[in-house]
Amino acid sequence: MSRSESPRAVEPAIAPWGPPRAAYVHVPFCRHRCGYCDFTLIAGRDDLIDRYLDALALEIERELPGPVEVDTLFFGGGTPSHLSPDQLARLFGIVGSRISLVPEGECSIEANPLDLDNERLAALVQAGVNRVSIGVQSFQPGELRLLERDHTGIEARDAVRRVRRAIPNVGVDLIFGTPGQSLADWSASLEACLALEPAHVSTYGLTFEKGTSFWSRRERGALRQSPEDLEREMYELAMEQLPAAGVPQYEISNFARPGFECRHNETYWDARSCWAFGPGAASYLGGVRRQNHRSTTTWIARTLTREVAPPALVEELSPEDRAREAAMLGLRRTRGIDSAAFERRFGAAPRSLAGAAFERLVSAGWLEESSGWLRLTREGRCVADTVLMEFLSPL
Amino acid sequence: MQREFIRNFSIVAHIDHGKSTLADQLLLRTQAISDREFQEQILDDLEVERERGITVKARAVAIYYDYPGPSTDAQLPAGTAPPPPGRYELNLIDTPGHVDFHYEVSRSLAACEGALLLVDAFQGVQAQTVANAYAAIEGNLEIIPVVNKIDLPVTRIDEVLNEVETILGLDAATALRVSAKQGLNIEDVLRAIVERVPAPRGDSAAPLKALVFDSKYDDYRGVVTYVRVKEGRLAKGDRIRFMKGATTHEITDLGQFRPHMTPCESLGVGQVGYIITGIKALGNVHVGDTVTHAGRQAAEPLPGYKQPKPMVFCGMYPIDATDFENLREELEKMSLNDASFTFAPETSDALGFGFRCGFLGMLHMEIIQQRLEKEADVDLIQTAPNVTYEILKRGGSLVQIDNPVDTPDPGEIEEFREPIAKVTFIVPSKNIGTIMQLCEDRRGTYKSTEYMGPDRAQLIYELPLAEIIYDMHDKLKSATQGYGTMDYDVIGFRESDLVKLDILVKGTRVDALSTIVYRGFAERRGRALVKKLKEEIPKHQFEVALQAAIGAKVIARETISALRKNVTAKCYGGDISRKRKLLQKQKEGKKRMKQFGQVEIPQKAFLSVLDAGNDD
Repeated sequence: MSRSESPRAVEPAIAPWGPPRAAYVHVPFCRHRCGYCDFTLIAGRDDLIDRYLDALALEIERELPGPVEVDTLFFGGGTPSHLSPDQLARLFGIVGSRISLVPEGECSIEANPLDLDNERLAALVQAGVNRVSIGVQSFQPGELRLLERDHTGIEARDAVRRVRRAIPNVGVDLIFGTPGQSLADWSASLEACLALEPAHVSTYGLTFEKGTSFWSRRERGALRQSPEDLEREMYELAMEQLPAAGVPQYEISNFARPGFECRHNETYWDARSCWAFGPGAASYLGGVRRQNHRSTTTWIARTLTREVAPPALVEELSPEDRAREAAMLGLRRTRGIDSAAFERRFGAAPRSLAGAAFERLVSAGWLEESSGWLRLTREGRCVADTVLMEFLSPL
Repeated sequence: MQREFIRNFSIVAHIDHGKSTLADQLLLRTQAISDREFQEQILDDLEVERERGITVKARAVAIYYDYPGPSTDAQLPAGTAPPPPGRYELNLIDTPGHVDFHYEVSRSLAACEGALLLVDAFQGVQAQTVANAYAAIEGNLEIIPVVNKIDLPVTRIDEVLNEVETILGLDAATALRVSAKQGLNIEDVLRAIVERVPAPRGDSAAPLKALVFDSKYDDYRGVVTYVRVKEGRLAKGDRIRFMKGATTHEITDLGQFRPHMTPCESLGVGQVGYIITGIKALGNVHVGDTVTHAGRQAAEPLPGYKQPKPMVFCGMYPIDATDFENLREELEKMSLNDASFTFAPETSDALGFGFRCGFLGMLHMEIIQQRLEKEADVDLIQTAPNVTYEILKRGGSLVQIDNPVDTPDPGEIEEFREPIAKVTFIVPSKNIGTIMQLCEDRRGTYKSTEYMGPDRAQLIYELPLAEIIYDMHDKLKSATQGYGTMDYDVIGFRESDLVKLDILVKGTRVDALSTIVYRGFAERRGRALVKKLKEEIPKHQFEVALQAAIGAKVIARETISALRKNVTAKCYGGDISRKRKLLQKQKEGKKRMKQFGQVEIPQKAFLSVLDAGNDD
């Protein structure tokens, strides 16, 4: 096909990214780096926390000359709950000095099951945190050991129950596809999770990321990745079991009771603006994505010396690529994309972005369009990357 | 220039033994180039070849050396008087250093009276040293052995000299010892060239005979033809005739490379230079042809002319069908610069419209492919290379098969013939057994073994060319920890029990994956091939069956299971750019795939035929 057929998005009059109504703060500290994890984090360097907080204060002051108001605020990691109660109080103080949450706003924090003692919980409540996402990962002892988690299933259960008494909106993160995990094991973890009646569940298929110890162990043959068929069955099981228990799916890896979807993360999938602070954090402002240096020590050093250092990434996409990226993100949501609204916002109809592949994806049963919404089918969610790829470049 | 003051010589060597560096030193010493120019290897014109360290296109450079007279230890040829002191014209004729260019090497050597045989002081005599030395000996050249890199921390000069004697039969006592890199003893080399290389002979009053030993295409001047005058005189404005090409032209310009093109009025007996005649296509000038005058013609052309024949072929197809004409233009450009590269349009059910390209050998193919990749803005699919075959059909007609798909039905074949090469290996003695096994496994016929000293030996086999192009070189290198070298020369065609092996993808034959194999290897090759294809072809929504078949008989089978799961779990703020780029890249990769029925086959898969050679 000729190249002239590829869609040319024209920049609409109103900026598609909108004003920033969300802020993300990255807290990189962990007690231990788990073998599968490739996030921006630093383990065993609690001595850096105070300097990190100094740097964070400077960065927020520098980026936000005046107070701003947001609908959502998210403390991610690393492990934000790894900070001491005093450090947590200081963290919230620094952030709160410039960023305030609207009434009914969402303030999330990621936490490790063992961290949330009463003192820390009190600090969270005090600061207005109203959503906690707990990294449970599994309830099976063998899997927890392999994943190098420092808690047991029982401890995780207790943590969820205890946190919920203070902060009702609790989410549980689970991992499937751990080497050696059976479908029955996964089902048992899902059951154990549902028994806790969480407001939100994330199920992440284990990914072997370059640079992790899991990756090199797999390369050496010391770790065997789950068979693709089994991973698919596990994913399908989650897509059956969770909605059946009243926790419907709303994104590829996310399930929530109605009204408890993570609004902060929806900002990303909706391609809207977001502030971001801390090492490795990526902001999206005025259509420009900017990612901070991923090394915690470098980020601290540069920020403290007020050095105007080049970010790890500065990216301003063309209107066409912005539309393609928005389609990639929007289709992750179970409800899909409102085609007409998308075209108004991004200047290109979503189906036109996939070009000739569109019909093929529909007839493959991976993509469906009904009453103006374009979405992945359940089959399509299992092979989402294969489908989304077609939206990312003209053929 | 009087012919007594002319010396024509080549440097022959194995790759990386320092030929270009020595050439540059000679140019530097005679002030043909400056120090700065010396830093760049100026004898290699084409970037691709410079990267590979191989001088592919010959070039001739005239340098001027003030010979002071013989030194006390001069080794003059027996019974000759020392040459008079004075200014000498030394023509350095560069030779292609590789196996695919035997004929070109022989023509360059035919333009010389002598050769420097350059050998690395540590690596010693290697396969191409032998091949090139024999070519020089056959051409009756005076050979001056030169041991290079004597400055290396570890050398084995005595053993190397012993190798020169035992394998090449040259007198090691006459060898020079130099370091081209350090500029050590370069003066000795210049002096030896004057003293030991004979001055050219020839009758300047006889009808013109000049040997064409190379040509190149120049964007502004058309074809530049390199000649060596054997008899007579060649002057600007002459009307000349190519005796084999049977065409007549006027010389619009002629001159020498010093090292840059320098026009002059005429070239006399023994001199080397270029002529420009307004010829636009390189294909119209044949290396080995003889130039004579259109009016006063020589009775006989010079001996040794051959039409080099492509022995290795592969298909080249544009991924985007609309690029067909662009690809044709690019291939034409390539052939302008390289007369031994051929191409002709062909059609494939799987790949559409493309070209069958012919090469002298595998290295030649790789060079052209690299240049296309670098210079042409066309996305290509290349099929695995095959050798050319001869088929004697029932009824007596002889056909040449450059594409396996063209193989006639077995019922029509009287005799199926394949090219055979004489292969020279030089390997550590302890690896002889492994190499012999390697050759036996590849239908080799043993010829001889010769020990070059306690540690190394020369092994000669006759092998089907098809077996060599699969993986012989890689296997040799791994069997000898990199110490073994090989060189081959096609010696003719021989009957063999060959069959066409087809590949079926989801029940349909993919013509571009067909190969011709020895019947005894068909099953093994078939199994290896479908196994390799299974790795190369991505999963589809459905199962994809892969079969290898001879005629209607399936001899191997694999199945690619359907795609079940492919989804990125996390996509939050920091992941978005990375994810987008990753998927974009995957999509770009898909563009390089060819849709075949419902199945998408990546470009690499078409080369699997090559990788699936012998491993199982």
